[in-house]
Amino acid sequence: MKTYLIMELKRLPRNKRVLIFSMLMPAVLLLVFGGLNKGQDLNGVDASAYIMVSLGVFGSMTSVMGRGGSIAVERGIGWNRQLRLTPLRPSRYVVIKVATSLLMAIPPLVVVYLIGALGLGVHLSAATWLLVFLGSWLGALPFAALGVVIGYVATPDSVQQISALLYMLLAAFGGLWVPIEVMPRLMRDIAELTPAYWVGQLARNPLFHGSLDARGLLVLLAWAVGLGFVALRRFRADTAKA
Amino acid sequence: MTPTVALRGLTKAYGRVTAVDGLDLTIQPGEVVALLGPNGAGKSTTIDMLLGLARPDTGTARLFGMPPAEAIAAGKVGALLQSGGLLPDLTVREIVELSAALYAGHRSVPDVLTRAGLTDVAGRRVAKLSGGQQQRVRFAMALVADPDLIVLDEPTTGLDVEARRSFWAAMREESGHGRTVLFATHYLEEADAFADRIVFVRAGRVVADGTAAQIKAQVSGRTIRATLPGADLNALAALPGVDEVESRGDAVLLTCRDSDAALRALVNSTPAYDIEVTAQGLEEAFVALTLEGAK
Repeated sequence: MKTYLIMELKRLPRNKRVLIFSMLMPAVLLLVFGGLNKGQDLNGVDASAYIMVSLGVFGSMTSVMGRGGSIAVERGIGWNRQLRLTPLRPSRYVVIKVATSLLMAIPPLVVVYLIGALGLGVHLSAATWLLVFLGSWLGALPFAALGVVIGYVATPDSVQQISALLYMLLAAFGGLWVPIEVMPRLMRDIAELTPAYWVGQLARNPLFHGSLDARGLLVLLAWAVGLGFVALRRFRADTAKA
Repeated sequence: MTPTVALRGLTKAYGRVTAVDGLDLTIQPGEVVALLGPNGAGKSTTIDMLLGLARPDTGTARLFGMPPAEAIAAGKVGALLQSGGLLPDLTVREIVELSAALYAGHRSVPDVLTRAGLTDVAGRRVAKLSGGQQQRVRFAMALVADPDLIVLDEPTTGLDVEARRSFWAAMREESGHGRTVLFATHYLEEADAFADRIVFVRAGRVVADGTAAQIKAQVSGRTIRATLPGADLNALAALPGVDEVESRGDAVLLTCRDSDAALRALVNSTPAYDIEVTAQGLEEAFVALTLEGAK
């Protein structure tokens, strides 16, 4: 298992497309929208900081879900079938995928925070930086589970479109692209139904209150458990069949 | 002694197509067995069930007396699938090292790379290899596990003659160490040249099982060829031991179930000369066994 994990870690930078895309898209969005709203105030918080945190969450979400997509690709080329002919337990394969997914959540966060701090002059206390990062990172967990679901449902041909569609919808309706605060009431009600909204809340809460949002954490935990359960079922179904 | 492979009454249907239809097969330790049959005979489905990749509709598959998954978890089985199963972004060395790491009692990676003839390309990405080289990688992955049973599903499909030859040369060397080997193929020469025992499968059943010589004998028959101008074909067909008669110009071709009786009668009753008696080859047996089902 250790060798497999190390091998997966070595492979991470080889899939440059997902990695670059998950960093590039939020970086560009941040430069445009963070730049446009520089110096603005949003309920007492620097709008650039607000946008930075939201887009960081968006980047880590795309990165984590893209990672799950690699399961679909590997299923497509018969790698999972090959692995079933080895003593490696299939559950370990999934555990390794989730663990490396969570690692992949970090680079987009770092890039976005660097752009925020150096390019847009976002000033946060060390404690706030840490909490914002922690909230964004913990919040990636349900998306890692969602990635596994996609990995076991999608085909190699469809996986990119499916995950792209999903994270765009999640980002748009979950308030990662447009602040919840400026959305109409109905849109805000819809937003609360998405896990993306709750990650946003969790990650941005330190900007407003200097702490993580306990309710957001609980809701996300529920999402992670729920999606984890679906992932487990899909995984079992896939392992049981030929 | 527990057989290495024990398949009992295996049946598997996909929709209305019965791929495997009551197949029995027992393989003892150290045997090298070819599962031979035309395309669509049910070889791959049989192998999938044997490895636990497909669940039989009825019947059981046991490896070393255990369910396949247990034997695999115990590291007793190395398998080489027909296609796929390689991560293209890994290097040859990485993928073989990875396979090695999954087995407790594995062999040394450099040694296996040498045996599989992959040392020169060890640092290359799998995606950049030729079909033959990729097949060697699969072979190395199966070998590095140091398994008691190696299962190969059509290992040389799509390889050119040279690649096939060197694949089997490497394989032959390995099987010398008392390993049990089961391979599926539709190449007759491979079964003949490499296996101790040929299991001929058609329409999901075993229709012949034995050494190449036994299979030839089962289809039996020899052919007598003789020069006999103006031969009376009906009279020849009536000779004892003769099944069929054909004329080829001045020559006649007698397909015989008992060539000895036919030959005695032919010599005694006709002026035939230049007589040759040939046994049917494995190829004729293969064709005969394949056609039998089509009738």
